[in-house]
Amino acid sequence: MKLLCAEFQNFRLLRDLELRFSVDPHKKLTVIRAANESGKTTILHALQWALYGDAALPGKGDGFRLHPIDWSAPDGKRVPITAMVEFELTTYRQIGGELREARRRYRIVRAAFEEVDATARRTASTMRLFALNDSGASPIESPEAFVNDELPPELREVFFTDGDRALSFIEADVAQSTKRERVQRAIRSLLGLGVIEQAMKHVQKAAADVNRKAKQVGANAELRNIASRLEEIDKESGKFEAALADAKQQFAAFDEKVEETDRKISAALQKGDKEKLRKDLEHAKREIKQLDDQLAAANKEHSALFRNREVATELLAPVLRRAYDKLEELHDQGKIPNTTIPVLQNRLTAEICICGEPLVPGEPDCDERRAHIQKLIDDSLRADEIQEIITDLYYGAKPLPTDGNSWLDEYKKIVERRDGLKALRDDGGRKFRALEIELDALPDTDVQGLREARRQYKEQRDRHLSKSSSIETQLLSLRREREGLNVEFERLLREQKKGARILAELEVTQDVSRVLQSAYDRITKEELRKVSDLMNRIFLEMIGADPEQGAIIRRAEISAEFDIKVHGPNDRTLNPDRDLNGASRRALTLAFILALTKVSEVEAPNVIDTPLGMTSGYVKRSLLRTAIRESAQLILFLTHDEIAGCEEIIDDAAGAICTLTNPTHYPKMLLNDPGSAERKVLRCSCTHRNDCPQCQRRTDSDIRPEMAS
Amino acid sequence: MADRYFNPFQAIDIHVPVEFHDSVSRYSQTGGNAVIDQSPFPRMVDFWFLAVCVAARLDLDPEDISRYATKKIIDGAIFGSDPWRVHTLMLIAIGKTGDVEIVSEPRKMMALVSGLAVAGLPKVIEMLKEGDAEPIWNLSDAIDSLLRKRAA
Repeated sequence: MKLLCAEFQNFRLLRDLELRFSVDPHKKLTVIRAANESGKTTILHALQWALYGDAALPGKGDGFRLHPIDWSAPDGKRVPITAMVEFELTTYRQIGGELREARRRYRIVRAAFEEVDATARRTASTMRLFALNDSGASPIESPEAFVNDELPPELREVFFTDGDRALSFIEADVAQSTKRERVQRAIRSLLGLGVIEQAMKHVQKAAADVNRKAKQVGANAELRNIASRLEEIDKESGKFEAALADAKQQFAAFDEKVEETDRKISAALQKGDKEKLRKDLEHAKREIKQLDDQLAAANKEHSALFRNREVATELLAPVLRRAYDKLEELHDQGKIPNTTIPVLQNRLTAEICICGEPLVPGEPDCDERRAHIQKLIDDSLRADEIQEIITDLYYGAKPLPTDGNSWLDEYKKIVERRDGLKALRDDGGRKFRALEIELDALPDTDVQGLREARRQYKEQRDRHLSKSSSIETQLLSLRREREGLNVEFERLLREQKKGARILAELEVTQDVSRVLQSAYDRITKEELRKVSDLMNRIFLEMIGADPEQGAIIRRAEISAEFDIKVHGPNDRTLNPDRDLNGASRRALTLAFILALTKVSEVEAPNVIDTPLGMTSGYVKRSLLRTAIRESAQLILFLTHDEIAGCEEIIDDAAGAICTLTNPTHYPKMLLNDPGSAERKVLRCSCTHRNDCPQCQRRTDSDIRPEMAS
Repeated sequence: MADRYFNPFQAIDIHVPVEFHDSVSRYSQTGGNAVIDQSPFPRMVDFWFLAVCVAARLDLDPEDISRYATKKIIDGAIFGSDPWRVHTLMLIAIGKTGDVEIVSEPRKMMALVSGLAVAGLPKVIEMLKEGDAEPIWNLSDAIDSLLRKRAA
């Protein structure tokens, strides 16, 4: 199929628009140049609506308004909306051993009415298909079936896509099973695997019929038993296969839920984990409490500096030294300690003086000496109380006088300790306040709850995976049993009179089944390999000159499990959505789409909105050049920026170019007034190299600040 | 030898002039002030004792406390728990009078050191107030300077 032209009336911005597409095999490219908000995406939607109806609209068309938003009431309260697409189909016929090509043209028209109110209720759309010939247009019955055959709805994303949607085959935000399913669906549909699967089911049913016939051919009880068992096995297999499909579907659904919950958790954690923040806050509070305790202790130590011995003795050092010198003097005089009295009393008792003179009572000289000594004893007794105190003071106060700096040392230590603790406390306080603010700012996302939900989804997912494995094992067991029974069944049939015919029928079903299985295997293996290889070639060619990506990307492939994989050095697997830059991701998905279209040998258009976004330089040109070469018909919606640098390629390859303009862009972005205040897309035949008064845009330097605001 | 922990001031009350009592109370934690930075002294007697030390350090003449209306802050029994203070007060008395025998006259010693306290109290209060920081830091800086002067 190739698109020839399209016309749209009252489809959102497309009040009245006609487009023509190139079908020239040497100029396969059609470029529709349009700035943002100039109807590119709307045209993509309108084309798909024309072909597939509401199911192709965002949200399956539910709540998706079609009529122009600025539709004025005097024009009517029911808006007629139409989309018309003309396309060409090429068929080949063998005539006289010669392959003849025939081209047929068709027109598809879809129409609906929509109410102009808040509900925007729309009547069910009507689609009509006409075969076009020189004599006019002949209507064709069942147009939906016709379109479904030529452009299967499953492949809508392959034929009609935008640069961002194309990434859906590799995007990280969906479950692996979803991506796999998208790739698988696209491949199965385009390679015709669905048809083969249907045929295999049909043959299985035929084999079951043959089996039933076999039960009736004779009286052989064993044959009947085996036939019954085979019948049961087929029934059981059918049930198991349905259960397996269900388990796989359930697995995919829960896998998707796990991924979705992961994304929610990740988003919540990016803003902050409330539970973790609460714990951090508690921890910060405990730290502050500890620091406050340490600070209080340090303050007490500081306070104790004004009552300790050091402050007194160091302040009093001169006074204390003076006083203590007095005591030392007394000590040197022998008055400290006070030991005179016992010594003198001892001398009187011993009647001999320290100097050796006698102290015998009754003798005149001795009495005189004894009286002197007694006087000394009496004097000492009077001074005893004072001396006792002084002696006590002398010995007790000995450690007091000091010339040290211990108070200053102690004070310095306390200052450092208090300052250090204060700084930590201030930090702790700031941290605590910051956490409080962060916590207050957090939405009430229950991360714990999400984690619990994730755990449950994962449990469910794993349960279905386990169930799948179990069913697969049971199916394998049934298949083996069937094979064994088949051998015996065929042997017994041969022994029956009527068995030969049934056996022949059975052999036919088995042969057809084997052929179909072989075709299926060949397509899934060989054709998939072809798509994979071609995708790899196109992809590497597209990114070939990107030194940044060239250094890490070695090859891309579609695995047997339908995963699109990219390998780096040493065959290391790269995550396409995370390890590749924007240009490479686009290149990879476009390479997949082009490879799939090409290998399927389906002649179909590739209509792509903004395919060159996020690309630049050689990669952009290479991507465009390769896409033109590999596509049967390439229709690109390009912004002015995307076109920049690719003008020569477009010169060579484009068979049709037009420019779309949104008049409401005047005066901010358009230089001239297009003369229409309505929000609608205007077309002009300007190419990528020229402008007319209608489409001429202001350059950045033309845009004055007041216009930009 | 006499008991080392003999406290001659056991029966003597410690007074401060009424005019200083409020300050002594305000800067002491026993005055009901729990904020250490604002009230650096654990007890009023610590304030009083530091005033004695500062006055002695600055070689101030003791004031005649009998000329002041006074208010008791605590009795001398408080020194029973700090014998070094008893010795210090006695040594101050000896150092200031040059008379060792003064040690036998506790009231005379107390009058002398109380006179020093009266002389020292306004100085310490000034130290507490002088500065941009809280009283504890003002006082610390002042003591630091006082001690360094000697060291220098």
